[in-house]
Amino acid sequence: MTVDFRRVIRPVAIGTIALLTEYALLGTQQFANALTLGAIYALIALGYTMVYGIVELINFAHGDIFMVGSFLAMWIMTTVLGLSGPVTNLLNLVGLLSIVMFATMVGMGFIGMFIERFAYRPLRHAPRLAPLITAIGVSFILQNIISSLFGPSPVNVPQIVPLDKFAFMGGKIGYLNVFMVVLAVVLMIALQLFVGRTRLGRAMRSTAQDREAAELMGVDINQTIAITFFIAAALAGAGGVIQGLYFGSIKFDLGFFVGLKAFTAAVLGGIGNTTGAAIGGFIIAFVEVYATVLGYTQWSEVAVFTVLILVLVFRPSGLLGQQLGERA
Amino acid sequence: MKYGKLGALGAGALLVFSACSGTTATAAPGTSTAPGGSSAVAAGAWCVGGTVKIGTELPMSGGETANGAPTANGVKLAIKQQNAKGGVAGCKLDINVQDDALNGVHDPQTGAKNMQTLVADAAVMGVVGPFNSGVAKAEIPISNGAGLLMCSPANTNNGVTQPPEGDTYRKTNPTKISYIRTASPDSIQGPSAADYLYKDLGKTSVYIIDDTETFGVGVGDTFQAEFKKLGGNVVKRDSAPKSTTDYTPLFTAAAALNPQGVYLAGTTPTGMGLALKQGRTVSGLETVPFVGPDGVADLGPGGTQGATITIAGAASHDVYGTVGSAHDLADNTFTAAYTTEFGGAPGAYSAAAYACAQIIIASLDKASATATDLASAREGVRANAVNSANTFATVLGSLNFDKYGDNVHPFISFYKVDMTLAGGKGDWTFVKQESFSDPNAQ
Repeated sequence: MTVDFRRVIRPVAIGTIALLTEYALLGTQQFANALTLGAIYALIALGYTMVYGIVELINFAHGDIFMVGSFLAMWIMTTVLGLSGPVTNLLNLVGLLSIVMFATMVGMGFIGMFIERFAYRPLRHAPRLAPLITAIGVSFILQNIISSLFGPSPVNVPQIVPLDKFAFMGGKIGYLNVFMVVLAVVLMIALQLFVGRTRLGRAMRSTAQDREAAELMGVDINQTIAITFFIAAALAGAGGVIQGLYFGSIKFDLGFFVGLKAFTAAVLGGIGNTTGAAIGGFIIAFVEVYATVLGYTQWSEVAVFTVLILVLVFRPSGLLGQQLGERA
Repeated sequence: MKYGKLGALGAGALLVFSACSGTTATAAPGTSTAPGGSSAVAAGAWCVGGTVKIGTELPMSGGETANGAPTANGVKLAIKQQNAKGGVAGCKLDINVQDDALNGVHDPQTGAKNMQTLVADAAVMGVVGPFNSGVAKAEIPISNGAGLLMCSPANTNNGVTQPPEGDTYRKTNPTKISYIRTASPDSIQGPSAADYLYKDLGKTSVYIIDDTETFGVGVGDTFQAEFKKLGGNVVKRDSAPKSTTDYTPLFTAAAALNPQGVYLAGTTPTGMGLALKQGRTVSGLETVPFVGPDGVADLGPGGTQGATITIAGAASHDVYGTVGSAHDLADNTFTAAYTTEFGGAPGAYSAAAYACAQIIIASLDKASATATDLASAREGVRANAVNSANTFATVLGSLNFDKYGDNVHPFISFYKVDMTLAGGKGDWTFVKQESFSDPNAQ
């Protein structure tokens, strides 16, 4: 296999440059904060980009799917597993985290499929504005369901991962931060392998490229799109788990702003491009944290969207391009 | 929802219009709560339907529950006790509860809409509320135009009453103010917290974070000015809007400057609870004191919905707060009566809300002598309550208000969190209280 400039070298180069710049500007401690936040944004951005890649729908409910994921994880931890505080036994912790992560991702995957089946599939051949409005409607439905189930106040998530830190290159890094970033990277690599190396991944890519042709070649379009929504929602669910673990508090309207920023990350990286979404997520988090470091917290959202506008003016297809032809 | 229905029910009852003959009160109005002391036995013609209302305009739901609900309870208790004594001049009292929380956070637009609802309900004689200064600024122009009395137990921003800003909210009737407050303004609350941190806790450097809202920025500014005046060092001042979910980078940047304390200038529903929770986890800030104004010191024990200690959890240790109201009450039966009625300790502003209701009741009692209809009774309540010559005997002690509607005997109470209370979930304990002179006297 020859090394492809567009698919491998450019993303790696952009990613490395972005990370090194971040580190140089922020220093160890804030760099760790930005990476952690970026891990959440990246996991959500992947969902936006995958759904757009395959059905050209901007799924505005995706931020709320992430929010539902955080509540599902909280519910599993408190009600199902009865957890309330830090779990100090490493083996127990790993086991419990795996259960929470797996159950949330699968649960959210099915919720994502369910939404696709009943809210988007009937409108697949409708004018493009119709599913967009539906997506906004789904977003409100999800928010209101959670608000009526758990109330409109912030809900605490048990911090089952102890908040211990270790010294590293002049800073103090929490084990939780490391876990979050590693988890996000592992999930992203798994996604790349799935899309690039498996039969289902090939079906997804072919559906994205030309739906009719793929159907003629025997690809089950409905199944493929459903699986895309499953994966997108599962990744958002993983983001929801770590959001709750890290911030310790979740709220029913959490998905709106986080979703908007993750969407920005997806567009920044090149919507439809999974690698781009991941890199975009880390860049958006970096911009936000850097604005804070400079003392312009109030302007951090302005900064995020200014970056988006600049990128779109000079590179309308995003940093990595839309990967037309093999977006997924 | 529940209260909305109650209000609608009250309004419905009014529509039925069962004339005024129905009520025949036997007991005279209470002596301590109604200094007017008239001994009417039957409701006058002004008391249409035999019942009038006291409105409450407070944030009642979601993250604001710990603020609004105990405050409204103070009003409910006052009404219940007054009705047990036969009402005011033979006229029974009811309540019209409005909630200005939108999605669980106080909202000025919702407050303005609620104020219009209360103005439109002719039976409302006076309103207790709002809780948040930003909401007050949206509501005062409406109540000023309509001549409906508002008595806020909790507003503290200076600009709400004091000129030049205060004048801009009462443009319709500049000479007929419609708003009084029992709480101490931030020109007292902010500096008191600064004095406490600098002198009592002996901390010489501080990091200030505000929530970008009217109240938060105002109290942050007055804290900052006083702390600098004392010779303290303000290492950094940040403003984070309520949409902020990640406070870690802010506190990480601040921790690098080694502050010995943190001032949370804002309210828990607008992010200060989260800021406390996340700020505690940052290296260097694990044990420093976090001080907050009354928006943080809601006095709700751990486990109460929306309370600071509930949100911040284990991070609530070494947390101090100020409340713009007296802790030691003039009427010491209040706390027991409140606890019996509602099954929990009063909130930070329950007693102040009770005092507001007492002022409305006393003013109504006076006004009832000359009132001919609901409108003249409402105007009479307003005129009596804002008259700086009138003194009211309330649960907070003897209260009167200056020409801008500010309490001339403001108090600040100091509290700290004790994590061993409330079964290990933590609760606020009283530290001390201080009295001040009229904020507008200089």
